[in-house]
Amino acid sequence: MPRLRSSMTTLAFLLPVLALSAAFRFLPMLGAVGLSMTDYHPGGDWRFVGAENYQSLAQDEIFLASLRTTLGYAALHVPLTVVVALGSALLLHAVPWGRGLFRAALFAPYATSLVLSAVIWRRVLEPTGFLERPSTVLAALAVVGVWRGFGYAMLILFAGIRNVPADCLEAATVDGASAWQRFRHVLLPALRPALFFVVVVETVAALQIFDTVYVMTGGGPVRASYTLAYAVYDYGFRYFDFGRAAAAGVVLWAIVLLVSLGQRRAFDRNP
Amino acid sequence: MRRHIWSTAVLSLVSLAAIGPFVVMLVVALSPGDAPTFPLRLPTSLTLDNIIRVLSTDSFLRWTVNTVVYSAVSVAAVLVSASMAAYVFARKRFAGRDVLLWSLLSTMMVPFHAMLMPSLVVVSLLGWSDTYWGLIVPTLANMQAVLLLRQFIRALPDEVFDAARIDGAGDWRVYRSIVLPLCRPVLATLAVFVFLWHWNDFLWPLVVARSDEMRTLTVGLSSLEQGQSTVADLMSAATVCGLPCLLVFVVLQRNLTGTIGLTRWGR
Repeated sequence: MPRLRSSMTTLAFLLPVLALSAAFRFLPMLGAVGLSMTDYHPGGDWRFVGAENYQSLAQDEIFLASLRTTLGYAALHVPLTVVVALGSALLLHAVPWGRGLFRAALFAPYATSLVLSAVIWRRVLEPTGFLERPSTVLAALAVVGVWRGFGYAMLILFAGIRNVPADCLEAATVDGASAWQRFRHVLLPALRPALFFVVVVETVAALQIFDTVYVMTGGGPVRASYTLAYAVYDYGFRYFDFGRAAAAGVVLWAIVLLVSLGQRRAFDRNP
Repeated sequence: MRRHIWSTAVLSLVSLAAIGPFVVMLVVALSPGDAPTFPLRLPTSLTLDNIIRVLSTDSFLRWTVNTVVYSAVSVAAVLVSASMAAYVFARKRFAGRDVLLWSLLSTMMVPFHAMLMPSLVVVSLLGWSDTYWGLIVPTLANMQAVLLLRQFIRALPDEVFDAARIDGAGDWRVYRSIVLPLCRPVLATLAVFVFLWHWNDFLWPLVVARSDEMRTLTVGLSSLEQGQSTVADLMSAATVCGLPCLLVFVVLQRNLTGTIGLTRWGR
């Protein structure tokens, strides 16, 4: 009897999280696949259409371009974030004074929303015209994304640098290693786990870029910033084509999964 | 010494770039009238007129209240539900525990955009469209919080729990009088993060709010951006939207930035 009561208590402790996850995580996960195989429009009839949504997406030039745009954005956002974050973390480690103040300043943008960043930066970038040119719009969006997010990556890398034993660096200095050699052969290997974590987190975030696109460009000019996540919103809430939007969402899911797995394997392979 | 000066100089420049846009926002918001202080001409005097004008419009006040409700209720609900589950996952043995935990954690890997349309269908089936219920409840399944708390509770000394059990304390007693008090610091950090996530959340409030009265500040701000607002109004609205986050962050930053480095987690 006590066993039964104990397992009932266990269940009771788990119940809120289980119920919330079932209704608003697992059900939508299954529902995404299901919905993507219908032609559901809110308030209308729906029927099962199989893979039709996916087929039509595969033949849609605009959708295929949105895949390229999304990957192009990630290819700008991720390296830029890593370089700025690693550079600031190294500098933060090197300065002997005011570390707390610098850290607070560098991390502050992360405490605010992407929407806020987008609203301010749209005005700041207005005179440059970068947002109106198809060739520069992704870079401009990446600057906003990096500005808002690099503080988080910096803190993780900074913690990684602090975990490198001081003796290792001293030993390298005694052996006559230059600053670059110390960085390349002592710090960088020790930072690998932190760097991997940062790259994965930033890639997943970059592939889902939406807020800044919505506020700053609306996907333009001439769809140069029409990303996959923006396409999901566009199909769902401009055309009210929930089936197609769900299908685009599933494609995004698959891409995030594939890229994360690929990065995991690349990380495991190259020591 | 020369190296120190160089790194300080470069780091100061990067820091200025990080906070510069906030300074621009504040200066424009606090400049009198519609004085054209953008990009950045220093005003001769500062005033709160713009912020007061923006705050005194009905819909902006409503958005602020919505955002406060959304964030506050979410913080309370996430802390309670996540700490309960974390205690069980960290300290109890039962069949299928690890499988259950891993399948719950796997939901963290799914982009929210993939679940967006079906989540809306679930909300409308529940009859929660355009309500606080529909806004808040679907965002409460926070596995990051469960994961962080579980790690913390697992690291607590076994003796505390053994002693409580010998004294005959049940799970509820252990949860209330051991887990919650010992988790105070990590709960405090988590509260700030959950607050920031919800305060800054955009996509879900954007799609779930059909009427103007259900919007949050981020959604309202983006609608002002697309409307015919003056720059001064826009930056005043942005200030109201961003200042609470910056203040919370400045007051608690030492605590927060320390935890991020230690635990490596994020949304």
